[in-house]
Amino acid sequence: MSKIDLNNISHSYNPNDPNPIYALNPFSMTWENGKRYAILGPSGCGKTTMLNIVSGLVRPSAGSILFDDKDVTDLKTESRNIAQVFQFPVIYNTMTVYENLAFPLKCRDFPKTKIDERVKSVADTLSLQSFLNSPARKLTADQKQLISLGRGLVREDVAAVLMDEPLTVIDPDLKFRLRRKLKEINEEFKTTLVYVTHDQNEAMTFADNIIVMSEGEVVQAGTPKELFERPNTTFVGYFIGSPAMNLFETEASSNDSVKINNTIIKTSTNLTNLKDKKIKLGIRSEFIKIAENQSENLLDVDVDKVEDLGNYKLLTAKMGSLTIKSKINRETEVPSSNVKLHIPAEKCCVYQDEKLV
Amino acid sequence: MNFKHKYVFLFPGLFVLIGILIFPIIFVVRLSLSGWNSYNGLNFIGLENYVRLFTDDPRFWQSFLRLSFLSVTTVILQYVIGFALAHMVWKDIKFQRFFRVLFLIPMMTTPVIMTVIWRTFFHESLGPVNDILSNFGMSPKWLTDPVLAKFTVIIVEVWQWTPFMFLLLLAGLLSLPKEPFLAAAIDGASPVRKFLYVTFPLMAPISIGAIIIRLIEASKIMDTVYVLTSGGPGTATETSSFYIFIKGLREFQMGYAASMSFTYLIIMIISLTVIAKVLTKVLLKD
Repeated sequence: MSKIDLNNISHSYNPNDPNPIYALNPFSMTWENGKRYAILGPSGCGKTTMLNIVSGLVRPSAGSILFDDKDVTDLKTESRNIAQVFQFPVIYNTMTVYENLAFPLKCRDFPKTKIDERVKSVADTLSLQSFLNSPARKLTADQKQLISLGRGLVREDVAAVLMDEPLTVIDPDLKFRLRRKLKEINEEFKTTLVYVTHDQNEAMTFADNIIVMSEGEVVQAGTPKELFERPNTTFVGYFIGSPAMNLFETEASSNDSVKINNTIIKTSTNLTNLKDKKIKLGIRSEFIKIAENQSENLLDVDVDKVEDLGNYKLLTAKMGSLTIKSKINRETEVPSSNVKLHIPAEKCCVYQDEKLV
Repeated sequence: MNFKHKYVFLFPGLFVLIGILIFPIIFVVRLSLSGWNSYNGLNFIGLENYVRLFTDDPRFWQSFLRLSFLSVTTVILQYVIGFALAHMVWKDIKFQRFFRVLFLIPMMTTPVIMTVIWRTFFHESLGPVNDILSNFGMSPKWLTDPVLAKFTVIIVEVWQWTPFMFLLLLAGLLSLPKEPFLAAAIDGASPVRKFLYVTFPLMAPISIGAIIIRLIEASKIMDTVYVLTSGGPGTATETSSFYIFIKGLREFQMGYAASMSFTYLIIMIISLTVIAKVLTKVLLKD
């Protein structure tokens, strides 16, 4: 359990090339002790590279890593005291479940009684007690993944537990319970957990802080709320949330309003310097509602379709060539014509060159 | 679909299979039930050859025991040395490509020619080995001492065929997944533990395959013995195949040689099946 500092870390798989291609662009970040972090991004964006740099499986091309202000950049994985769980279960085939769980402690010469105590406690947490004496290779894939997870959690003194999409092979019900379990473990033992995923729901429900990555770049780091309401870039707006953020190409028409298909929409952003520039207006479909008694920021739209998605209705509306998506209550009846949608000014985000103004 | 011409297309393959595999086996069985000579032709004599083999030929069974000892010893040595070499050039080391090729050279040489060279090496009065050893007051009888001659055969066999084992095991090592090793590093496993709990268990299926292939090959040992010692001194290095060769092609007791060949084949099939089962049980713990 320590604070982890990443200072100007970058990584390239061809560092000696005159034009190195970066798998990870230079970035700095601090992971506080005892918090839960999620690294979120599409496949190939550098999530796993970042994780492997922290665990020491990959040495960064530049920059340094500090655990509790101690430089560990040159330390090997074995001496970093870190735990990592991989996407697919990794178990020691010749050992029993108990021996598997005990292995990280045995390698570090813990006393027998301590090992026994820790293994029993972890097995308890992960409901593996009844398998403790069976050979690990005879278990099912998700039980094997539990063993991997258990080996990550069995040491109490690790700097952090890094997880690389650990729940991919686990069925949804157990996934949900495990995520809760991990949260509990974090709250109880103050273990720093870092969780790599490409599933935004998983990231949102699990982490205090989400780090969104795209093409080797840390695009935004923040709480789920920040990422949801004020995405830093259009990528984050697009990637986070379902459906993706509504984005309209537009231009500033006054100091604080933009024009969408000849309709003036007020925003809470100062647009004085953005006159005649290409900008985008972004708004979450959650914030767009059918207008009731509002008088401004209204869009006249034609209803394209209404989908009932169980817990909400998704309204897809057209306005000329624009498509607008809005999440509305299940109970709301959508009139077939003359629909006005209300865009709340304070929820509007304005982007120039894909970056939040 | 009723495709009448399919037999036409099957024929070339079947012809080769029958011609080079099925027919010889059937012919050997038939031959083993006869005394074959130019005077009587292929005369049927029933089980006479087998009765002789099982009741009146300790030399065959001794040669078979000797063969078992030689092949098991050489294969174990080849496995241990081959694994060590493969493990050595598996990781990034200096001159990795050079070593990988170097270790394969013995396999690329012709066994008979190399055995002639080895025979010269081990020649008791003229060979370089004893030339060096004589400086220390030793001159072992590499080829004429009954015990040492077996040892010499083992050295030559191991030298010749360890590269094959090396090749199979290196291919196996290179195909292993990375994650278990990363996980072991994270768990803090020492190199010995990594080998015992990760590398070796992962290599078990490949090891079994490699050992069985080499056992089959090693049981056919013939050229090394023929060139190095001709089965001597006495019968000290005589193996089954060499004994069958003597009976069949030196003394022209073709029928008897055929019965030995067939018996040998049956014993090999049974024992290799048992060995494969045992290895699977021990190495894979299944």
